[in-house]
Amino acid sequence: MSAAPPIRHAALGDRIAGAALALLALGAWWHSHTFVTGFMQPVGPGVFPRLVSVPLGVLSLYLIARPGINQRWPEKTALVRQLGMLLLLGCYAIVLEPLGFVPATLLATVLLMRLFGARWRQALPYGALLGFALYVLFEFALGIPLPDTPGWSG
Amino acid sequence: MDILDFLVHGFAVALQPEHLLLALIGCTVGTLIGALPGLGPVNGVALMIPLAFNFGLAPTAALILLVSVYYGCMYGGRISSIVLNIPGDEPAMMTTLDGYPMARAGRGGEALGLSAVASFVGATIATIGLTLFAPLLVKVAIRFGPAEYFALFMLAFATIGGVTSGSFTKSFIAACLGLLLGTVGIDPVSSVARYTFGWYELYDGIDYLVALIGLFAISECLLFLERDHRLEITPVRLGSAVPGMRRSKSCASTIGRGSLIGFIAGVLPGAGASLGSFLSYSLEKRRWGDKGDFGRGDPRGVAAPEAGNNAAAGGALIPMLSLGIPGSGTTAILLALLLSMNITPGPLLFEQQPDMVWGLVAALFIGNVMLLVLNIPLVGLFAKVLQAPSWFLMPMVVLVAFVGVYSLNNSPFDLFMMLAFGVLGYVLRKLEIPTVPVVLGLLLGGQMEFNLRRAMSITGGDWSILWSSGISIGIYVFAATLLCAGLIYALLVKRRLV
Repeated sequence: MSAAPPIRHAALGDRIAGAALALLALGAWWHSHTFVTGFMQPVGPGVFPRLVSVPLGVLSLYLIARPGINQRWPEKTALVRQLGMLLLLGCYAIVLEPLGFVPATLLATVLLMRLFGARWRQALPYGALLGFALYVLFEFALGIPLPDTPGWSG
Repeated sequence: MDILDFLVHGFAVALQPEHLLLALIGCTVGTLIGALPGLGPVNGVALMIPLAFNFGLAPTAALILLVSVYYGCMYGGRISSIVLNIPGDEPAMMTTLDGYPMARAGRGGEALGLSAVASFVGATIATIGLTLFAPLLVKVAIRFGPAEYFALFMLAFATIGGVTSGSFTKSFIAACLGLLLGTVGIDPVSSVARYTFGWYELYDGIDYLVALIGLFAISECLLFLERDHRLEITPVRLGSAVPGMRRSKSCASTIGRGSLIGFIAGVLPGAGASLGSFLSYSLEKRRWGDKGDFGRGDPRGVAAPEAGNNAAAGGALIPMLSLGIPGSGTTAILLALLLSMNITPGPLLFEQQPDMVWGLVAALFIGNVMLLVLNIPLVGLFAKVLQAPSWFLMPMVVLVAFVGVYSLNNSPFDLFMMLAFGVLGYVLRKLEIPTVPVVLGLLLGGQMEFNLRRAMSITGGDWSILWSSGISIGIYVFAATLLCAGLIYALLVKRRLV
């Protein structure tokens, strides 16, 4: 836990963010010129985005020049877990409709609990419990139609 | 008395059984969510929105439920601060300084009781302030034209630096980013598609609720995943909360001052509960100096920030309801709810929907009493929630967010959008770029642009209309003053800390 590396790291993070935001501001400014200005409108659809992208660009450049404090970026294992959660939720979103709510959600709850540190012995029963609780809450208590499992409901 | 009549009418609305039940549910759920470490009012209210939406609640009922959750979270935040030394959210941070030492010394119950009373007084004073001042502000705001509104939005963004402990540059970058994101979609004036890149899902613009839940709840879970899971903290013994209630008499002046400061911090657009609790704590600390025992378990160190942050929570509702400009992250979410229900808060809301506004105010008074009553005897139960394992709680948060967002439009696209905003929120938080200004920009951008263009079309493109009236000049001067004050304050803090 030496003091020097995190500081250099921090400055780098801000500089990358500053560069990305400056590019975004430039892109927004440039793209806004393709918006067709309406007839008889003193302020067309492109003006406001341009007005915003100017301070965004200037402040981003300032951030590159004078980076501030950042938090520490995650270690490799944490990063893997985070990507795991995003991947898991992404897959959940994809299979939710084709597979139906109940099987997709049961799978997702159990795997999520594993990801957040539960053992299989804990994840299986509590994941099932949470999945069904959500189903009951949304389908019956709130009356929202959730995707059915093909060939399962009548 | 006009206001008294309205308030009586409001109580008639709020005392309907359905609304009472919703307030009770909101207060209980809010306290529970607030008590969970890491989940503050912003997350709590964001998670409840899809549920309220899907419940098919009328706008008044939905608002009562959500502000009860809001007030409940502000009460609950103190529990994990005192018992675990982990603030539930940023405003509850100052409460850890003296709350946890008190709990370690076996005075946890006393701290909880005292903070409950301080929270009650703070929130009640703020609600009285809301009752008195919101109608006054409405009377001024009713004369506002588009140019004045534009100035008001500038004021909101000028004071944004005070919201967070982060740097001014980063707060403004965040606001600009939010404003830019707010322009995505079909432009309502000219029907030109802006920044949609041919994706028809973006034609309606970025759904506020989807963005909010991603920015707050999903990024919170991502942050959680990298923290140490083996965070084993044995909760301290609590004891009775009643001695704290007795103690609160001797802390009366502290609570009074804290409430007042918090209220003012809450009313200022862009500032918020964190500032309220911070200011009231540091004022008390300075006032008592060596006579106090601050940082080592001084009861006044618990009473001051709790009165401050709860008063700020109520104060933040004033600009949100009367001007349509939220004073904090959570009120921004409440604004998002209203906008999603096609209700635009502002001076006209008080004229057109008095039932809603005054029912809400009355519900806040009732909710406060409920929260005090709930919190004194049930505090042990709420503290128990803290022992629920995080491997159960965090997946629950993720899934409620996920299913809630899906149920808004039954669209998997929204889910990917939510994940994208989750990653954005996570990266921003890692960079210490505050997320609340992003939300404010996203929410207010549309109205800000609309008012700018309306002002321009009045004069046919003469920009000087923006600073041609006394009111707008006054607002700009006020904004500039607050901006300078914020900058100077930030410099002073920096100098003392380094």
